Amino acid sequence: MNAMNQQLAGFAPTPVTARMENHGRSMLKVAMQSGQDLFARTGSMVAYEGFVQYEPNPPAVRQMASQWVTGEGAPLMKCTGDGLLYLADYGADVVVINLNNDSLSVNGTNLLAFDAHLQWGVERVKGLAKFAGQGLFNVEVAGTGWVALTSRGTPIVVDCGRGEDETYVDPDALVAWSPNLKVKGKRSFKASSMLGRGSGEAYQMAFSGQGIVVVQPSEDSTDRLRARG
Amino acid sequence: MAREFQRGHKAKVSDLTAGTDLYVGVQIAGPGLTFDISCFGLDANEQLSDDRYFVFFNQPKSPEESIQLLGAQAGDTESFRVTLDRVPASIHKLSFTATIDGAGQMSQIGPGHIRIVAGGEEVVRYAFTGAEFTTERAVMLGDFYLKDVWRFAAVGQGFDGGLDALLKNFGGEVAEEEQPQQQAPAAGAPGFAPPPQAAAPAPSFGAPAPAPQAPAPAPSFGAPAPAPAPAAPQPPQYPQPAAPAPVHAAPTMAAPLAPPAPAPYGQPPQQPSYGQVPGQYPGQVPPPAPAPGGYGQQPSYGQVPGQMPGQVPGQQPGYAPQAAAPAAGLAAALQPYKEAPTGSRWTPQNQQLMRVDLSMGGQAVLARQGSMVLYQGKVDFSYKGAGFAGRIVGNATGQEMQLMRCTGRGQVFLAENGAHLHAIELQGDAICVSAENVLAFDESLQHEVRRIEGHGIPGGALFTMQFQGTGTVIVKTHGVPVVLPVTPTTFADSNAIVAWSAASQVILSSQVRLRRNAYPGHSGETVNLQFRGAPGNFIVVQPYEV
Repeated sequence: MNAMNQQLAGFAPTPVTARMENHGRSMLKVAMQSGQDLFARTGSMVAYEGFVQYEPNPPAVRQMASQWVTGEGAPLMKCTGDGLLYLADYGADVVVINLNNDSLSVNGTNLLAFDAHLQWGVERVKGLAKFAGQGLFNVEVAGTGWVALTSRGTPIVVDCGRGEDETYVDPDALVAWSPNLKVKGKRSFKASSMLGRGSGEAYQMAFSGQGIVVVQPSEDSTDRLRARG
Repeated sequence: MAREFQRGHKAKVSDLTAGTDLYVGVQIAGPGLTFDISCFGLDANEQLSDDRYFVFFNQPKSPEESIQLLGAQAGDTESFRVTLDRVPASIHKLSFTATIDGAGQMSQIGPGHIRIVAGGEEVVRYAFTGAEFTTERAVMLGDFYLKDVWRFAAVGQGFDGGLDALLKNFGGEVAEEEQPQQQAPAAGAPGFAPPPQAAAPAPSFGAPAPAPQAPAPAPSFGAPAPAPAPAAPQPPQYPQPAAPAPVHAAPTMAAPLAPPAPAPYGQPPQQPSYGQVPGQYPGQVPPPAPAPGGYGQQPSYGQVPGQMPGQVPGQQPGYAPQAAAPAAGLAAALQPYKEAPTGSRWTPQNQQLMRVDLSMGGQAVLARQGSMVLYQGKVDFSYKGAGFAGRIVGNATGQEMQLMRCTGRGQVFLAENGAHLHAIELQGDAICVSAENVLAFDESLQHEVRRIEGHGIPGGALFTMQFQGTGTVIVKTHGVPVVLPVTPTTFADSNAIVAWSAASQVILSSQVRLRRNAYPGHSGETVNLQFRGAPGNFIVVQPYEV
């Protein structure tokens, strides 16, 4: 028993130093306190310590995201209580962001959790919903607080404002972007060119303006938490 | 399983791996920065009492070859082979360090790591980013140290003074007595003690104050920079430009030839000249020194892209391990994932993403369709009319490999399903790559498709592409591949083979296992490829059978 503990000791949680932290690449550790509620993707909880309660179909979400809510229920749950909460999304990399009066648009699939006190809203990306498998919903979060994203593989952050040209992104690889960017869907330039995964997905999203785009190194945009149902 | 270390973490090497033959890889890079990565073999007092154990590019191995410099490897800027059980008893600590060659500071570096690989498997990794540093110009990344048994510690401690401070820290023979003693404990000890910042875990979730370290940056850097640089007396201090090289050819002769080497560390007067003069390093030939000067102008680059107003990366102290994240603000949190600056045609952004700058070199790139995740600039993608796509068809599933041709001016980011990407630069060489593992390549390369036919191969044949000429091929692998030399008995699974040097000959060897025949639907044959070739040939195999 002792030997076993020793070998596993390297994986014990490190002391809490912040509201949200990575435990390894792909697990998120959230320090829960009553009064500081959290929205997390339904089904993303892998473990918790302490007294944490989950509200799977919170009215707030139903109100904010009525179009996002399907028969299966809302994709977000509300977590309240005191304790340590561990979240993960099938081994995807977790990126923790402490917003400091910033705002960020996150692809619904890539959102893992965020502080409930942040301002947030759900919108469908105009003109693109049909193209990207799930119907692309994105959640815009703003204010001061913590957000955790997931990315399949190490993400990359690209600055849009560098060139005069637009930045074109494969919608399946898109993770997040600055909300002040202008977004439009774009069909590939030549009818003959085929981009994106497989056949027929010859669409990109074109971003212009000052801001950043976060992209994952994978065109796997399946919503695994959702698929589990 | 690879363990992720953070600053201050340590472990017995025996807990990490049973082996003592270790590969140590260091990845460190920054815009316009060049790094000298070295290993110091220190005695019980943490001094470099025997300078033959200062392993760096000019002295690539220790006398008994227990520490060897291997050079850049896939994914690592520099790498070492360390055979711990052969390290002499006088050496108690191996400190791996990186120093900036030329102007710059550590806060500008991108994501980097020091990792240990044993038996082909990464056992531990300490990842760091520029956000953990400020104005340091030299940093001790990690240590092996002997305390009853060999242990490994992630140190991540920097020195503003650069290489000279580092040498002084280790310099047993430095003439001025006080400093080494004073600095040694200061530097050595904290590495193993809990790191100072971590010791006081920030209590709250608010904005973990960047304050404590913020003031530090300004004073130390700027000042010494220009002034001492032109120090004239420096050439005489490097009297042995070429000497070290022959030394290694004949290890036993090392002792007589070595004497020039100690001089640089031993002499205090040289210190001012260190650090700022680009390209300077003990034992280095003077000529290359001035070259990188121009880069010095760029240091601000890394901070520019996407920088939100008010966020200066340098302000983030090396707070807790996850420093980047807790430091408040969107820009700070995303700093580790910033795009690597331009500078070459092919630039790996991280293990899984490759950027090609079409503006450089001017020729087109052929890439697997669907591998583009993002692009900027005026780039044209086409696949029709290239007269190409039709030819690479078929494999097990009858799936086609379709390529697109990227032309124009701009940057294209390529990735596929999080596979690891490796850029292989060919300079007149030839390499065969399994068609499934080709992600992209320069159009300037001659390429042809070959079939390796065999009964056991699903689909009847293995498709490979042979590349020849000058240019770069991007190869993707699932997981970290192994590169094996071709010997008379080198076999690889046809499903796991990624690439091989084209000069080796492939022979198909099927091994029929009768047992397996019993399973319906299974052919019962496993097809192995045997390779034959002159020494120097190699094969690349991935840990994943397609």
